[in-house]
Amino acid sequence: MKPLPPSDRPSDHEQLPLSGIRVVDVGNFLAGPYAASIMGEFGAEVLKVEHPIAGDPMRRFGTPTKRHDATLAWLSEGRNKKSVTIDLRQKEGVQIFLKLIAKSDVLIENFRPGTMEEWGLGWEQLREANPRLVVLRVSGYGQTGPYRRRSGFAHIAHAFGGLSYLAGFPGETPVLPGTVPLGDYMSSLYGVIGVLVALRHQEETGRGQVIDVGIYEAVFRQLDEIAAAYGLFGKVREREGSGSFVAVPHGHFRTKDDKWIAIACTTDKMFERLAEAMEQSELATTGLYGDQRKRLAARDQVNQIVIEWVGSLTRDEVLERCLDKEVPVGKVNSIADIFEDEHFQARGNLARFEEEGLGEVVVPAVVPTLSATPGRITNLGPPLGDATYEVMRELLDITADEIRRLRQHKII
Amino acid sequence: MTAESAPALPLAGIRVIDVATVIAAPYCATLLGEFGADVLKVEHPVGGDALRRFGTPSQRGDTLTWLSEARNKRSVTIDLHRPEGVAVFKQLIAQSDVLCENFRPGTLEKWGLGWEVLHEINPGLIMLRVTGYGQTGPYKDRPGFARVAHAVGGIAYLAGMPRGTPVTPGSTTLGDYMTGLYGCLGVLLALRHRERTGQGQYVDAALYESVFRCTDELAPAYGMYGIVRERHGPSHNDFACPHGHFPTKDGKWVAISCATDKLFARLAAAMGRTELASSSTYGEQKTRLEHRHDVNEIVRDWCGSLSRDEVLDRCYETGTPAGPLNNIADIFGDRQFHARRNLMAVDVPDTGETVIVPSTIPKLSETPGSLRSLGPKLGEHTVEVLSELLGMDEQQIAELRQKRVI
Repeated sequence: MKPLPPSDRPSDHEQLPLSGIRVVDVGNFLAGPYAASIMGEFGAEVLKVEHPIAGDPMRRFGTPTKRHDATLAWLSEGRNKKSVTIDLRQKEGVQIFLKLIAKSDVLIENFRPGTMEEWGLGWEQLREANPRLVVLRVSGYGQTGPYRRRSGFAHIAHAFGGLSYLAGFPGETPVLPGTVPLGDYMSSLYGVIGVLVALRHQEETGRGQVIDVGIYEAVFRQLDEIAAAYGLFGKVREREGSGSFVAVPHGHFRTKDDKWIAIACTTDKMFERLAEAMEQSELATTGLYGDQRKRLAARDQVNQIVIEWVGSLTRDEVLERCLDKEVPVGKVNSIADIFEDEHFQARGNLARFEEEGLGEVVVPAVVPTLSATPGRITNLGPPLGDATYEVMRELLDITADEIRRLRQHKII
Repeated sequence: MTAESAPALPLAGIRVIDVATVIAAPYCATLLGEFGADVLKVEHPVGGDALRRFGTPSQRGDTLTWLSEARNKRSVTIDLHRPEGVAVFKQLIAQSDVLCENFRPGTLEKWGLGWEVLHEINPGLIMLRVTGYGQTGPYKDRPGFARVAHAVGGIAYLAGMPRGTPVTPGSTTLGDYMTGLYGCLGVLLALRHRERTGQGQYVDAALYESVFRCTDELAPAYGMYGIVRERHGPSHNDFACPHGHFPTKDGKWVAISCATDKLFARLAAAMGRTELASSSTYGEQKTRLEHRHDVNEIVRDWCGSLSRDEVLDRCYETGTPAGPLNNIADIFGDRQFHARRNLMAVDVPDTGETVIVPSTIPKLSETPGSLRSLGPKLGEHTVEVLSELLGMDEQQIAELRQKRVI
C-alpha cells in the first residue's frame, strides 16, 4: 500500500512522541479502539488482538468492500494497527495473551465489565503479568455502579447521557445527534487522555493503573451548563430544533437554491455584523434587537427576518455577504460538499491511499496537527491475522512448530 | 465544599497559561488542571472571558458554564493590547510550560506574541492554537464557532428528519468540547516529546476538523461509491435495524440498537417473539435492512404498548442494548449517575449558592483527577501570581493597576 499526496506526511517513526510504546487493543468496534488508532498515529506500535475466526465485528460493520474482512469503516479506523489472532476463550490463548501483556505498555479493552475477569484476565492477573501496565477500559456504563453489566453502544449512551433528548424539534421525534458512533469517538478521546496522563505517572513511579470510562459519561461531560441549570433553577432543557437557548439568531437557514447555511450570532457584535450584511443595520440598535436579551425575548421575529433574508438569496450569495462582514457563517456541508471544498484540500484533511485490490480509499487525516511531530497513517485496517506469525515468532519467541500447532487448534 | 480527594496528580509541576475564550481551547486547560496542572487564566481586565456572560447567570454574575468549566483555574488580568501588558505576559510565558489560545490567526502576532517570539523566550513552550479553521488554508481568517464547525465538518447535515431542517446535533457546544479533547491530546503528546528532546512545538487544532474526524466512514463511502449520506431522523438505517428511538405508552422515548444478529435475537426474546429472529424471518441483518419499515413497525408497536420502564426492564433482562432518552431531570434521579458520582455539588464562595457540575472524567485508579474550585472571580489571583511568580512588589502592582494594564 502506498500513500498518495496530499495525505499525511509520513514522518520518521523514531521521532514520534509514542515511539517505543506498545499497545494491545483487544476491543471491538470503536469505543476504545479509536484511542489505539490515535496512539498509532503518533508512533505507538498497536497490536490488534482478535478472535481467530470472527475477528473484530467492526470488519463487518458499515459499507462492504471487495475485501471480505474489511468494511470501509474498518479500513479507516483500523489504521496503523497490526492484527494478531488469539482466542481468549481458550486457556492456552489466555496464557499467550499474558505473555504479550508482559511485553506491552498499554492494554485497551471494551468488553462488558466482568468478561475479562471470567477469562482470568482481571486487573489482578494483568498487574501480576506486568506491574507497569496501563489499562484503558471503556464500557457503556463504566466498571462500577448498578448498570455496569448492561450492554451499551454509543446510540444507547447518547440517549442515557442526555444528548439524544436534545436533538430534534420541540415536541417531535428525537433524532440522531449527527452520527451513530459519536460517543465512541468521544469516549476514546477521554480514554487516550487518561492513558497519556497515566503513562506520565508510570514513568515517574513505575506503577501502572486502570482508566475507567463509561461512554455515557463522555457524552454527559460535554453538555455545558445543563446540570448546573437544573440543579439551581430546575430548568429542564428541551429540544431546540436548529437553534440554541443561549443566542439568537443561531441556527440553520434554508437558502433560495434549497441548500442550508449555519449562522451563529453569539454576541451583540456578531448580530450587528449580520444586520449590516442584511443591509438592515437599524435592527442592531438598542431600540430594536441590538441586545441579546431582546433577541431572545423576540426569538421568532428575529429568526423570521433572517429566514426571509436567507431565503431570498442563493447559498453562495448569503455566504459571501456574511463573510464580507465577518459574520460567523458556514455551509451545512454534505460529504460531497466537503470533497469539493478548497479548505479541506489545503489542510490535507482527506488522506488518500491506494489499497491493493480496492483502488483508492479516502479517509480523514490525523487530528490534531503537531508542528514538530505530526502524526501519520502507515496503513489502513489490516487483514485478519496479518501479524500473528511475526508477533508469535519474534516478540514471544514461540517456535514455528508450536505456532503451527496453535493454528491447528484455532488458538491463534 | 465536597471536592474530590487528590492523592497524586500526574501533571503537578506543569504550568498552563490559558489566554483563550469560551470553551474550546479553555477546555483543554480545564482537563490539564483536573490532572494537576497549575492553570493561570489570563483575561482582559474589563469583562474578562466572554464565557462569564454566555448562558445562565449565577448570583455572582458569572454564568453557570463559567463556574463549571473554569474549574481549578486562577484568574489573572492582563491587557494584551498594551505594551506593558505584553511585557508582563512574556514574563509569565518564560515560566510556563503550555499556552492555550484561540484568537483569530494573526492576532497574537499583531501584539508581538507570535510563535517565533514565544518560542525564543521559552524554547520548551507548547502552544495550543485553536481556531474555527486552523492556522492555514483559505478560510483561516473566518470567524468560527462550534455551530459553524458542526455545519462545515459535516455532522449538522446529518442531524434531523429526512429532507427536514437540519437540527443542532444535540448541543451547540459539542464541537468546542471535542476540540478541547483533541487539543489536550496534542499537548500531552507534545509534553512527551519535550521531555525527550527539550523541544517545544505548537498544536494547530481547528473546530471543524475535530467534528469531521468523528464521522466514521462518511468520507471513504463517498470516495469509493459516491454515497452522500443524508439525514436519517432517529436512526442510521444503512448499518443496522432496528436502530433508533421509539415512543413508549407513557409519552417517553427509548433508544434501541441491534448492531448484530445476536442482539436482535435478544430483542425478539424481550418482545416474547423469538420466531422473529429465525433465518426465515428477520434473523439476518440483511433481511432486516431490506424490510426495515416492517421491522421498525413491529418494534414501534411493541414499545407503544408498554411504559418506558416496562420496555427497558424486558430489554435489560435479555441483554438487549436499550436505554431511556434521559432529560436532565431523569439524570439527576438516576442510580448509575449517583453510583459513579458523575454529579458534584460545589459551593460558590461568598454567595451561598450550590452549583451542581459534572465531575472529572476519565476515572483513573491511581491518580484520579480532582475538582478543587469553581471558576474564579475576574482577577481573583492577579496579585498573588504577579508577586509570587514574577516577584513584583506592591508598588509595581499598584502602578500596573492604575494604568489599567492589569
